[in-house]
Amino acid sequence: MHRQADLAITAAVAVLACTAAALGAPVAVTAVLGIAVLVAPGYLLGQLLFGSRIADLERVAVVTGLALCVPILGGLLLYAFGLPLHRAAWLSLLAGATLIGDLALFLRRRGGQATPFSWHPAAGRPPGPHVVAFGAAVVIAICAVGLACVGAAVQHYPGFTQLWLAHPNQNADTADLGIGNYEGKTMRYRLVLKRNGHTAATWNLTLANGQTWQRSPAYSGGIAAYLYTLPDLAQPYRYVAIDANGAPGS
Amino acid sequence: MTVADTSLGWHQATTDTRGRHATSEVSRLPVSVVAASAAIGVLVVAAAYTAGRLGYASSAWADRTYWLGQAFIVVPTAVRLLGRRALTSGETVTLITVLTVAEYLVIVCYSPTGFTFVDELEHWRGTVDILQTGKLFTVNYMLPISPDYPGLEEVTSALASITGLSIFTAGLMVAGVAHLLFVWVLYVLFREFSGSYRVAGVAVLCYATNVHFASFDSMFVYQTLALPFFGLTLLATWRLSALEAPGQRVGWLTVAVLAIAATVVTHHVTSYLLAATLLVISLAELVMRGWRTAAWAAMLALLSAVAAAGWLVFAAPETWAYLQPFADGTMDSLRAFFAGGHSSVPPSADPLGNRVLAAGAVLIMAVLLPVGWWQVWRTYRKQPWIVVMAIASVSWYLIVAIRFTVADGSELAGRASTFTYVPAALIAALAIGHLVGATAHRRVRNMAVPVLVGVLLLMFDGLANGWPPFWERLPGPYQVAGSERSVGPEEIATARWTLSALGPGNRFATDLGSFSVLGSYGYQNPLQDVAYLYTSPAFTPSVAAQAQAQGLRYIWVDQRLSQSLPASGQYFTDDPNAGKYTRPLPEADLGKFNQSAGLARVYDSGNIVIYELAEP
Repeated sequence: MHRQADLAITAAVAVLACTAAALGAPVAVTAVLGIAVLVAPGYLLGQLLFGSRIADLERVAVVTGLALCVPILGGLLLYAFGLPLHRAAWLSLLAGATLIGDLALFLRRRGGQATPFSWHPAAGRPPGPHVVAFGAAVVIAICAVGLACVGAAVQHYPGFTQLWLAHPNQNADTADLGIGNYEGKTMRYRLVLKRNGHTAATWNLTLANGQTWQRSPAYSGGIAAYLYTLPDLAQPYRYVAIDANGAPGS
Repeated sequence: MTVADTSLGWHQATTDTRGRHATSEVSRLPVSVVAASAAIGVLVVAAAYTAGRLGYASSAWADRTYWLGQAFIVVPTAVRLLGRRALTSGETVTLITVLTVAEYLVIVCYSPTGFTFVDELEHWRGTVDILQTGKLFTVNYMLPISPDYPGLEEVTSALASITGLSIFTAGLMVAGVAHLLFVWVLYVLFREFSGSYRVAGVAVLCYATNVHFASFDSMFVYQTLALPFFGLTLLATWRLSALEAPGQRVGWLTVAVLAIAATVVTHHVTSYLLAATLLVISLAELVMRGWRTAAWAAMLALLSAVAAAGWLVFAAPETWAYLQPFADGTMDSLRAFFAGGHSSVPPSADPLGNRVLAAGAVLIMAVLLPVGWWQVWRTYRKQPWIVVMAIASVSWYLIVAIRFTVADGSELAGRASTFTYVPAALIAALAIGHLVGATAHRRVRNMAVPVLVGVLLLMFDGLANGWPPFWERLPGPYQVAGSERSVGPEEIATARWTLSALGPGNRFATDLGSFSVLGSYGYQNPLQDVAYLYTSPAFTPSVAAQAQAQGLRYIWVDQRLSQSLPASGQYFTDDPNAGKYTRPLPEADLGKFNQSAGLARVYDSGNIVIYELAEP
């Protein structure tokens, strides 16, 4: 393996992560590159500080810890300099830290102050049955999470319909009137708008599941809205009222 | 690195340079099979959760299925770690990793499509704010102190930004990695302290018996991320104090400084405990070894204290106001305990099985710790760090006493267990190592099985009495004033409507179940002391005046409060009648707002109605 292979890989990751973000690459690509560029500064910092002088688990722990430190402390620095913490800033921070780390490690290696990259795969391969068992464990665990996701997706919740009539801005001339259908099926409604107890407008609506309907009627005191599910017009299904003490049907 | 089992008689084996016990006893339970068993356990738990979601949340068989799955995870791991057979250091690490990951996946499976736990929703909101505004230190109405400690939200928003993943996915990754990292660092610390990777593995197993291990310490909350930095600082201090490798001093010093800084900006209590722990260690080093080894710990203690104090004063001055109620509560608990406050403890509503498990676990740990102290005296009494651990493990008794003798003691004991179990787990593991090792030495097996049963009892106590509570063990239909099961589509849609229609930051009255949804998805400012609004029979002028004095703008009324008793025992976040309800709230008490002057009924989704109070 090349003596500077790790530097080449981390630098490539930094450049590719920025390129992928700039080109609007799919999430599958940006996810892999993003995770890699998040880890890269921690790896390089670990190499700069310790080289290969700490043992495996300790090295993994230190590298992971350092990788997590970079966005925490770097984010504070960016914020202190007045930079908004959006994608460009995070990418600049992480890719920049990676490239600076690459350069520093390269110079140290050239000066003989750091050991070059070397790859020592674990001696001997685990027996086949163990590999199969570990592989099965991973597959089963993925299936378990998948089952949980499916279970959450198919969980039945009672459907509901939202009706609102709000006037949050006291200076506005209109109110916000709306319906949201989350009954799990297409619904037919009749909406009756009343002013001071008198019908001002009526709408017959058919809304698909997840569909909303909105209007902005003129605001005045004593405004109320009654929603019925067709064909039942005897009792309002929902009702809202501003500046009115009205009970259903009032 | 060579780590030799010098202290414990586990097979009386030495270790070679690869950390393999020199023994011919090979286990018939390979670690790979343990991993497969744990994965099957997660699958079985996921099946139980699915059954709960399909309407069987209250059925005994679904509950038993859940525990069967947990047994698949826990039992083989414990058997292998506590067994007399050969175990390499790599296998030990694999076992603790399998246990940690499996229990984390159980948490993921409980809520696989979005955060539902209140603390997670608080931090989810903070992350959304950073992503939307690009700014730190924005307002978080649910947990006002969290923006002052933005470490978790920074990492998560960075990951979500650069990967394009959702906040939920990025948050799960950050929390999972942080949790596993903490377990690994704990393992390394325990291994260094004890000189035995086997004891370290058992110590991690013992640590996993604390009630918050599989829940609060692995959730998307700021303490989860601060814990590994806490551990890394201790590890760096250990390495610096050892003075074994001068060439690594700069490296470990850098790690310590960065980890201290990350701890300080991530979680308040963890940073204070870090400073305190380093101070105690430096004192112990000074007394037992001299100033040269104590200097590193003392310097880092000073650095962490200055950093925490500086952050408190200049960046997070509201911290003390936030922590003061907890501090007062803790002091009240301690005072009540030392005054013999037995009468203040309300009767437990937990099932008998949970109480038996809790009592049994307390008994086992209470016996193990003195045995561990004896081992410390016999073998480690000249090692300052282990002596500090032994002394610190006494805190476990204090916490247990508070848990069982003081009102609200469970909350304090649960929160403290994350830290008190660090020393207690190591001392318990030394005791277990002695018991199992002595058994092997005498060629008798009469202690190995009781030790295994005891540790399993500890594990199941941690699971049964941890989170989710017994009344939400399985996910399922909506529960009144519950926790995760009070977060459903209607509540989320209503909370989102408040944000889009009313704008953020309105002062709301709401019940316990909707509190977290309204503050997170709705980005509103729900108040805690609002029970009077719902329990008064009429909306009288005095009630209206009280609401006006609180600056309340909206009242969220869930009609289901009149249909069921609260799952958690209380309808409201600050409920003076908590634990005393014998029937649901009267329907008329909730319906009174319809006939009250000065209120507008602005939203109706069937179960939830929102009223707007007239502005003064």
